[in-house]
Formats: sequence, C-alpha cells, structure tokens
Amino acid sequence: MIFLRKLFDIPSADADDVRRRRLLAILVVGVAVVAFIAMVAALFGVIDAGTGFAFLVFFLPASAVLVGCIIVLAINYYGSGWLASSLFLLFLVTVITFSDKPAEVVAGRSLYAYVVPIIMASVLLRSYGSFIFVGLSEIAMVSLARSVQLTPDVPAMMGFWIVATIAWLAARSLEQALTDLRAINRDLDQRVSDRTRELSEALTREQAETSKNQAILQSIADGVVVFDTGGRAVVANPATTRLLEQPVSRLVGKDIDQLMDADVPVAEQSKVRTLFKDGATAASPLNVQWGDKTLSLSIAPVQVASGEAAGSVAVLRDVTREAEVSRMKSAFVSMVSHELRTPLNAIQGYTEILQQNVHGPLSEKQRGVAERIMMNIGRLLGIVGDLLDQAQIEAGTLAIRDGIFAPAELIESVQSSVGSMAQKKGLNLIAEIAPDMPASLTGDSQRLYQVLSNLTANAIKYTDEGRVAIRFFRPDSGHWAMQVDDTGIGIPISAEPHIFEPFHQGDDTIGRRHSGVGLGLAIVKRLVELMKGDIKLSSRMGRGSTFTATFPLIVAEPVQEAT
Amino acid sequence: MKPIALVIEDDEDLATIFTEATEAAGYQVEAIPSGDLALRRLEEVTPYLIVLDLHLPVVTGPQILKFIRANDRLKDAQVIIASADDRLAEYHRDKATMVMLKPISFVQLRDLTQRLRPADSPPA
Repeated sequence: MIFLRKLFDIPSADADDVRRRRLLAILVVGVAVVAFIAMVAALFGVIDAGTGFAFLVFFLPASAVLVGCIIVLAINYYGSGWLASSLFLLFLVTVITFSDKPAEVVAGRSLYAYVVPIIMASVLLRSYGSFIFVGLSEIAMVSLARSVQLTPDVPAMMGFWIVATIAWLAARSLEQALTDLRAINRDLDQRVSDRTRELSEALTREQAETSKNQAILQSIADGVVVFDTGGRAVVANPATTRLLEQPVSRLVGKDIDQLMDADVPVAEQSKVRTLFKDGATAASPLNVQWGDKTLSLSIAPVQVASGEAAGSVAVLRDVTREAEVSRMKSAFVSMVSHELRTPLNAIQGYTEILQQNVHGPLSEKQRGVAERIMMNIGRLLGIVGDLLDQAQIEAGTLAIRDGIFAPAELIESVQSSVGSMAQKKGLNLIAEIAPDMPASLTGDSQRLYQVLSNLTANAIKYTDEGRVAIRFFRPDSGHWAMQVDDTGIGIPISAEPHIFEPFHQGDDTIGRRHSGVGLGLAIVKRLVELMKGDIKLSSRMGRGSTFTATFPLIVAEPVQEAT
Repeated sequence: MKPIALVIEDDEDLATIFTEATEAAGYQVEAIPSGDLALRRLEEVTPYLIVLDLHLPVVTGPQILKFIRANDRLKDAQVIIASADDRLAEYHRDKATMVMLKPISFVQLRDLTQRLRPADSPPA
C-alpha cells in the first residue's frame, strides 16, 4: 500500500502535471493488474480460448504488457509524464489495431475501441491531445485498411473527430474549472493565512497591551480598586495596600462598608456610601479621614464597549499632607486675623477715646488726624475681616445662621454705615423696596448685611458721580432679590468672568486707587451661594454696573405668642 | 451709688478701652486680666454688668459664664460677651445678655452699656 501511495505521489510542482501523471499511474496500474491476472490465469490453464496455446496467446503478451506497464510507470514517476502518457496511449492504439481481425478493426466491432485512447489523450496529455490521437488512430486504421485492401469507414473516422472535439472541449472546461478552483483555493489560502497572521498580531498586541496596563496599574502611585456590579472589590493595586494598610488578598471580595469598617469615622462613611451611589454625577473627589491618613476618593462607573455597566472603579490618593497644609493655612490666617484684630481694636478704641474728648478736647488739627486714623483702621479691619471670611470659606467652617429679619431694617443699617461715604463723594444713595416684599423674611441677617454693604460700598467706591441705588424686589413668587445699581465706571466684559474670583480687581490702576485686597466680591459670591442664592452682574463700561443677588423667598412665620 | 461693672479681658489695651467706655457710661469699673482672678473677685462682689472675653488664661470665659449662671447671687448680672471668636460667642449667646464681636468700638460699648444701666442709677 505504501508503495502504491508512493507511486501515486508524483514529485512535481505543477498541479496539472501531477493530476495527469497520477491518473496515468492509476490507469497503468489497472492495466498491469489485469495483465498480471491474465498471466496467472494462463499459467494455470484457467483461460484457453479454445486454442490450446493459452501460454503462447495469453501468457507472453500479458507478460509483455506487464513489463511495458512497469517501464511506463518508471518513466511517469522519474521522468516525464508527457512521454509516459504518449507511450501508454501509443501502446493502447497499437494493441487496439492488432487485437482483432483487420476487417473488424477497419470497419467492424473493434473500430470504436479507438475512442478510448482519443478521449484519454485529452485527459492524460493536453486537451488538444485528442486530435493528435485521432490522427494517429486514423493513420493506423488507414494503413491497416490498405494492407488488407479494405475501404476505411469514413463516417466513423469523421465521428472520431467529433468525439475528439467533444473530449477537447470537456477536458478544456475541466482544466479551466480546475484552474479556477485552484485560484479560488489559492485566494482562500491567502486569506486564511492573512487572517491568521492578523489574529496572531492582534493577540500579541492585546497581550502586550494587557501586560502594559497591568504594569501601569501596578506602578501607579494612586490606589485603584475595581468593584464588580455587586459592589465587591475584584482588583486592587499595590498602592491601595499601602494606603489602606491591608494586603490585596484581604481587600479583594470585600464591599465598601467592609473596607471602611473601623478605619473611617461613622459620619464620613455615609458620605462615601453616597459617593458610591452616584459616583458618576459627583463633581469632585471626596476627602475622607481613613485611619491616620486623609484620602481623596473619587469613583467612576466602568462601562464595557456595549455601554453595559461592569461595576465601578475607585481611585484613592493620599492627601494627608495637602489637607494638613490647607488646615494649617486656614488656621494660620485665622490666627493672624484674630491677632491683628486685637491691636487694631485697641488703636480704634484709643482713637475713639481721643475723639470723644474723654481726656480733654482736641484741636481742629488733632481731630483731623484722629479721623484719618479711624478711616485707615476701618480699611485695615475690612481687609482682616475679608481674609478671615475667606479662610473660613476655604476651611468650610463659615456657617449660615438663619433668623427672622426685616428687609427695611437691613437697608437702613447699610445706608447708615455707608451713607457718609456716598455723601462725601456727593453721590445720591437711593433705597427702594418693592411693595410686594414681605415685611419680614427668614435668612442670615448678618451675612445678608455683609453682602449688601459690600456691594454698596463697592458701588460707591467705583462711582464718581450720579447715584447708587439699592433695590429689594421679587423677581418671581419663590425668590427675592437685592440689587445694587450704580452710574460708575463699569466693568469691562473681559473682566466679568473673573470678577468673583478671590484676589481679583476690575483694573489694577483702579485697584491701587481704590484700596482692598480683592476678596470682597469672592466672599460675596460664596456667601450668596451658602445662602442658596445666586449673584449676577451686568455692566457697561462708563455707564455703570448692576449686581443682582437672588435668594429663595422664605416668609418669616408670625411668632406664636404663648398663652 | 454707681452700678458695679467688671471688665474681664486679658488684653491690657482692650481692657483699658472697655473700662473707659463703661466708666463713661456711668459705672464703677474694675478690670480683671485673667479667669482665675475673675472667679476669685466674683466671690466678693456682685456686679451689675460684666464685659467678658471668652479666650482667657487659666479659667476660660465660658467657665466663668457657667459659674455666673449657676450662682444665685450673680445670675441676674448683665453679661456682655466681647469676643473675636464668632462661633464660640454664638454658641454661648443664650447665656449672655448680648454678644459683641471684636473689633468693638468705644462709642458702641459706651452707648450700649449706658442703655443697660439700672433706671435708678445716677447719671454718668
């Protein structure tokens, strides 16, 4: 079997050649087997053909055929397929020519046996090989006919050409189909190999990417914890273990409550839970006291490419140092402010004592000096107050204390505190309260006073002629507004976005002329926001500015007298 | 007989100014520079008015306030908290007659203490 398989395994690069030679090998082996059987049969007298010379008639020709087959096979395997096929077909034509009585071959029953080599030629040689063998067959036929003085069967000979044509066409289409098939195969092979290469490259890339991401996660300084959709930690990087002082193995599998456990104060745990619940909407990270560290915690949902939620990722950053610095800064500013206030208070008090003639009357000049001292003390106290407020705002300790107040009184107290300032500049200070404003409201009167006096003092400061108007009104049923409108220098459009930033002043030259550290409006805005309000500015250069602070309207409940 | 006022304040200058203001309002004033001295003095006198700083050495303002309110003899005294610490002052507001946040003006304190004076006291 192995020998046969090797026999059919033709060593050639041309696929058509291999196909033809393999077919030839099959046919030749078939013929050889038949010849071998005939030999054996003749040897044992199984066939006789009634001649009594079985050995002579069958054994010798069969042996010759067998030897011929071996030669053809050898040529086919080691030499040329074309030569082997031609020999085989020539042999076949010869056998047909001499296998029967000449009359039968020329015009009788054996004539049609020529069809076999003609058809085979188109398959074993080239497609046009059938025409060659029609020619050879007819030469053999005609020669034979001549030798026995018979007329060749011309219609049959014509018929052979038709058979050859059909065989040529069939073989050609077969070859074409095979060529196409091979082309398709080649194309397919190419595609498969391309795709395989692409896949392998993608896989390599993916592996590289994954290991890169893994390396990044491992070396990132911030703690990263990934939670699954059930809220349990599935991945934690080494930084997390450093921050939370627990090995990864003890972090994985726990939910946020178990992670916080005893390390986070109870009051802060609920904030963390809230952050977890709406992590995507939380604007800024949350600072959490975690053990002896302050950690900045931010949480974002993880979504896979299809948009499906795959859990969440928490990023922890150690901000202990920053928190400490911030706390120290606030404490420092607060301490300095308090410490500054005490001597300032003393200077103010002593000056007042002089002004009030406690130690005897002052001369006109002395009175003027005392007044200048008081004015400058006022400015300094204003600055210190602003710094203190800013420090409290930054530290988040500035509290709003709601109480009942009368809007009219609020305006009056502001008028009395800044009225002299307006008077000195020759400005008209107008106050208007809309008739639909309630007589009393709920709010932090001290902080509202601070907002209004700041806006009004600012307006007076930046207005050289005309008027400053304070208006209280209701823009809608749920809100009330305080508006300060002036006819001053105005604020350039370019400065409007920064006007509420700390330490900002509309214009440096103006800033130098009109003293202050530029905290006023930043504090005003923050105070308004702390009172759940909103402040807006509209201004035109040279025409004046209008600040409008709007607050939720909470009408004070009439006090129930105890009976 | 002028009503008695105690100015409990550790800053010497502020104590002087507060004393001048309350004296100008018609009180007989005594300035005390620390909490422990204040407690000792409160055992001896029954002031009508007390101007009290909250951040005091040794014994703090809130402790003195607690002592005053727990003492039958002193509990009717008018107490003005004079502090720069608005949060602490606010916390103790209900235990005091009124809260004044530093900086406190001489005129303001003088006018206010004048209004708090008992009706039968002699004019300043």
